[in-house]
Amino acid sequence: MRSEDGALESLERTLGRLLRGGVLSAAVLLAFGLVVSIAAGATPLSAGTLTAGLIVLMATPILRVVVSLVAYARMRDWFFVATTVSVFVLLAVTVLLAWSKLSRG
Amino acid sequence: MSLLLVAGVVAAGAVAGALGSLLGIGGGVFLVPFLNAGLGVDFGVARAVSLMTVIATSSAVSAGTAGRHTVNLRLGMVLEVASTTGGLIAGLTVERISSGHLSLIFAVVTALIAALMVSRLEKRNVLSADADPGPLGGRYFEEESGREVAYRVKRLPLGLFASLMAGAVSGTLGIGGGILKVPVLNGWCGVPMRAAAATSALMIGVTAAASVPLFYARGQVNPPLAAAAVLGVLAGSRLGFQFGGRARAKWLKLLMACVLAAVSLLYFRKALM
Repeated sequence: MRSEDGALESLERTLGRLLRGGVLSAAVLLAFGLVVSIAAGATPLSAGTLTAGLIVLMATPILRVVVSLVAYARMRDWFFVATTVSVFVLLAVTVLLAWSKLSRG
Repeated sequence: MSLLLVAGVVAAGAVAGALGSLLGIGGGVFLVPFLNAGLGVDFGVARAVSLMTVIATSSAVSAGTAGRHTVNLRLGMVLEVASTTGGLIAGLTVERISSGHLSLIFAVVTALIAALMVSRLEKRNVLSADADPGPLGGRYFEEESGREVAYRVKRLPLGLFASLMAGAVSGTLGIGGGILKVPVLNGWCGVPMRAAAATSALMIGVTAAASVPLFYARGQVNPPLAAAAVLGVLAGSRLGFQFGGRARAKWLKLLMACVLAAVSLLYFRKALM
């Protein structure tokens, strides 16, 4: 067994918990927002909850990349630090472009 | 959004999610034509909503497989450099593709997926557990043989190219794209089917996250529609996992390949009109 296998195994479990937590909280927010919007129409509460749910959903895989980056840095596995940084930069470009489009209206 | 429409979209999402988990492909390829051709939702909105369900499926499936070592985190991250590049390029350029061309691409890809679904090519690709898996390979417990197996990754550039294309197709059409890269990883890159499928399921979420925020900013993620579809897909894929039987899946595959072939013809017609 490689010495890194243990660290990789605990990363796998951490990521599993992160993904489960992300998708569960997004589902709860979306379900609540959907029920409120059916019952009371498009209110600030329903719109806000739905937006929060969608953002949590989109942020979950991005957060997975950030957590992996920290883990590879701790393992001092520089090839995978560089790989993960590349994925993160690509996601950051997407998010920043989307953000600037949203703030321009 | 009316209650009837919400119920319809939840049900459609549930069917797409159940089919997806029974067939081992994402539900997006069924959801997009249902929303677009069935309910008359704009293709851009159908694509954005479907990508949201792709992220939900990816997170839910990967949370379930964590700890079984079938997900290859390192290989996944290397391939994600290519797949997120593809997703970002699609997110930036897809507005310039005419709706006729988009229909044509959707028709070709659904025909390809139908063919891949029935081809059932599978290579075993496993080495004994004490073999050196190399920097990107992996090791996991194979349930069929009841022992630990290892595998080495071959032809990485081909895997990267397939991931780039799958990412571009994902962002263009709103599907996960797993079925486009899994056969390449299994057939040519030395990855066993189980590891290829689990790694791909992890990858499709981050790949969708590279394009869908751009569609969100364009107002294409209709919130109640996306919420209904996501909840439906999550419920459906749970059901699919619980009732998934191997024998039935074979006939289901054939049936759904026919459905996809019909969807493909429909979009060919759309492209020509």
